[in-house]
Amino acid sequence: MLEKKEFETNDFLWRLSSAVAVVSGLFSLIVFLLLIFNYVQIRNIDPIDNLLITQMRQEYASLPEKDDALAQRIRDLDLLNRKAFFTSQHHLRTGAVLLFIGVSIFMISFKGAFRWKRELPKLDETPTADKEFLAFAQSRQLITWAGVGILALGMASALLTESLVMKNANASVAPEGGDAAKAGDGKEPIQVAKAEIALPTWDSMEKNWPSFRGPGSLATAHFTTAPVDWDIATGSGVRWKVEIPLPGANSPVIWENKLFVSGADKDKREIYCFDINEGKVLWSKTVEDLPGGSQAPPKVSEDTGYAAPSMVAHGGRVFAIFAEGDLVAYDLDGNRLWGINVGVPQNHYGHSSSLLAYDKFLYVQLDQKVDPKLMALDVATGKQLWMAKRSTISWASPILAQTDFGPQLILNSEETVDAYDPITGTQLWSQVCLSGEVAPSPCYKNGIVFAANEYAVATAIQLEKPGDAIEPKVLWEYDEYLPEVASPVGDGERFYFGTSGGTLVCLNAKTGEKLWSEDMSDGFYSSPVLVGDRIYVADTGGKMYIVKASSTFELIATRDMGEQVFATPAFMDGRMYVRTQKHLYCIEQKANA
Amino acid sequence: MKTVRSLLVVGLFLLPAMLSVAAEMRFPPPDFQTDYKIPDLNSPAPVSSNGTRDAIILFIALSVTTWMVFKARSRRGLFIISIFSLAYFGFYRTGCICPVGSTQNVMAAVFLPDVGVSVAVLSFFVMPLLFSLFFGRVFCASVCPLGAIQELVAIAPIRISPALDRTLGLGRYVYLGLAVLGVATGSGFFICRWDPFVGIYRMGHSFGMLLAGGAILTLGIFVARPYCRFLCPYGIMLGWMSRFSKWHLDIPPSPCVKCRLCENSCPYNAINMPIPSHLVGDPEAGKRRIRRLVYVSPLIIAVGATLGYLSYEPLSRMHPKVALSERIAAENIGKLTTDTLETRTFRAGKQTVDELNAQAVQIREYFKTGGAWFGGFLALIICLKLIGLSTAPKRDIYTPNKETCFSCGRCYPYCPVEPLPKRS
Repeated sequence: MLEKKEFETNDFLWRLSSAVAVVSGLFSLIVFLLLIFNYVQIRNIDPIDNLLITQMRQEYASLPEKDDALAQRIRDLDLLNRKAFFTSQHHLRTGAVLLFIGVSIFMISFKGAFRWKRELPKLDETPTADKEFLAFAQSRQLITWAGVGILALGMASALLTESLVMKNANASVAPEGGDAAKAGDGKEPIQVAKAEIALPTWDSMEKNWPSFRGPGSLATAHFTTAPVDWDIATGSGVRWKVEIPLPGANSPVIWENKLFVSGADKDKREIYCFDINEGKVLWSKTVEDLPGGSQAPPKVSEDTGYAAPSMVAHGGRVFAIFAEGDLVAYDLDGNRLWGINVGVPQNHYGHSSSLLAYDKFLYVQLDQKVDPKLMALDVATGKQLWMAKRSTISWASPILAQTDFGPQLILNSEETVDAYDPITGTQLWSQVCLSGEVAPSPCYKNGIVFAANEYAVATAIQLEKPGDAIEPKVLWEYDEYLPEVASPVGDGERFYFGTSGGTLVCLNAKTGEKLWSEDMSDGFYSSPVLVGDRIYVADTGGKMYIVKASSTFELIATRDMGEQVFATPAFMDGRMYVRTQKHLYCIEQKANA
Repeated sequence: MKTVRSLLVVGLFLLPAMLSVAAEMRFPPPDFQTDYKIPDLNSPAPVSSNGTRDAIILFIALSVTTWMVFKARSRRGLFIISIFSLAYFGFYRTGCICPVGSTQNVMAAVFLPDVGVSVAVLSFFVMPLLFSLFFGRVFCASVCPLGAIQELVAIAPIRISPALDRTLGLGRYVYLGLAVLGVATGSGFFICRWDPFVGIYRMGHSFGMLLAGGAILTLGIFVARPYCRFLCPYGIMLGWMSRFSKWHLDIPPSPCVKCRLCENSCPYNAINMPIPSHLVGDPEAGKRRIRRLVYVSPLIIAVGATLGYLSYEPLSRMHPKVALSERIAAENIGKLTTDTLETRTFRAGKQTVDELNAQAVQIREYFKTGGAWFGGFLALIICLKLIGLSTAPKRDIYTPNKETCFSCGRCYPYCPVEPLPKRS
């Protein structure tokens, strides 16, 4: 009955099939090993993120002038890398085809080996009914256990899966008003203030020096007196001088009798609180153990460093942000209120935009390569209250202008000057007038916003409100001298700024006419500040110039600070606080000044 | 030992095909000026997507298969049709259009308001089901490209225990549930995304999927058609239809002589063995079991639904946006130190992380409802399976299990009643 050809055997064909299977199998195995080797090679080539090319590109980008030889080396290496990649890929494809053929022959011969030595069916001793009953019973048991397994698996995955997005949203801020709360990794408790901290009014902000370039970051001091005569070498006029342990380009900020600066290097981030009368360190804090973990430090330029953004002091709170995106809040006694990492800012010189605070909002201008945004965080908790999407990268800082149409948060970007409602985050207006890599912040005086940048033009924008909406109107443009880093200042009739080439410039605020320009010793990174009727501005060589705020150039004094100056000084009640490269000075007005 | 060695060897053979394709990557041209002119990139002309022609070919293939199963009773004929299906529906049409995947199109038309389904796709979905309703799973026999590739590699199949077979078969329901959930929540077409063989047909896919395809084929040499038996969601519907098929393959073409020669011929455990009435056992015990299960089923279903609801978090990771938001969060807090093409692309785009996170939170809400349905569905299936296994029916002869039989004809040569082929 079973003399069917499906059960015919053939010893020769079986041997032949087996031999072909062995040969094709060995062939496929060799090709397979070569492909694995090739695959590993391709994985390691990675033409996109080649470390050496990336480093060379960064080096090229950081050069002040084009280096054709370096560019050629980059091209050569890039080409070599791509050639290697495509050659390997070609090998891989060829190998895959060979392997496909080899495996196909192997499968056919393998099947043939089975076909030509097929065994006849063997009968089982167990009665069929018994086998079926057993199978039914076993099936019931196994399916039940499978159900229990699915249940356990589902429960475990439901309990163990934790959303990082949700977790960070909840854990990035420490609870307010409670006892010590654990940080994200549980290493160190975050100290949480128990008492309610009042929000400062605009009046109290004006009387302090709460942020970069003073109240609202407008570069205008509330107190009109400031020292003129001092000598760093002899110590004349120097009330105190202290060394700042870690470097930082940020400027001092002051609330009442406390002064704050931050410092950081690749490994450490610190905040320092000084007594403004004696220069004593009241407290210093190392910023670490943020919920969610601090990020690895990004690459920054030497000029920018890891602590370029100035802190902001806001009533009973003080805030600092670093190059890694670590943002922290402390009370004035040095208790940490909350901490958050806003993500490593993606900009190639490092993050430099200073913080600003108003009412219950802490503003963070994150103009970066990817996901640029303006964040308004709750000063008490760090929770985001609103966020405005930005479009381009910049290194500028926001200002808060009290305009005739209400307070406005004004920001420079790579292309535009944009204004936002500081309470709601609604964009009020935008004016295209900038280009290049924008570091100077805008300034505002008497209804006019002034923005300028090297490789662009200086533009005065008059704010008008013919209907419901505020409309920016370009009053004039100027393009002879332009600032690269330092921000401008206005006194109502004129705008002043310093260029990185070392020229101080004064323009007519209404017409844009150049009233004067004077070449000084070195370039300006520190921004000019208006104190009474004087402009204070320090160049990178460490010379502080005191110039009369007028339509003709009148140099009142030049004082040598003895070190390079990149930060903008703070002015409070007859005193000036200057951060030089390594020190912090308090210069006091002499009685006859 | 010999078997293990063979398994390893074949596994090693299939792996590089996947590696080769996984190594393909695309990257931007140099970002500086050179004399090099970037060539125009032309995608290869798409294979004509003539749905009507494909539907006609499918109909013809189903008809010929039916003839081979019922009239010619030719295992060799079915084998040849398998090769044709593999070549046409698999390698030529690159696995698409495919009745298995068409399930999702139909589900999308049901769940999503603005989605329709073309006549061609609908016919691909319906035709195999109709053939199953009348003739059993002839589509699985040799027309399905997914089944065909597995049938061809099933060289030395062994029989696994029927209990394990049935239990692993629950995987199909899990897969079906996830596929429906994926379509209903807009997460994507998982049957296509997770198709283990499409990478082989297209000579390119992710490393993971190629690895899965290779592993399934390797396993398929010894455990025949693992995808069809334990994963294929479309097979569930084909099985349901086939249960009621008017005509179905018979093992003997004339009255069964109960010689038992076919007992071990089917690697799919799809042959029902005779259970004489005097051996059926205590029918009352079976009835009591069913009664208890019916009473407890609502509770089991409620537990399943609750658990499904609570599992919305892991389930929602199936959605690309949720997965992306989690990945970006992990990168941002330093939990992951490398980025991916997806996160890089997102970061280069206009959307903010906050907007993405907000969308992810919204999507998670859909998964709460969907998860509850999914959990309830699985619990219901388990209850029905247990009820179905509570009593053993009386059977006089060897018959194919209409639900699980693939109509592959492997049992034909074992039946002595089968007429001998004519010899010239």
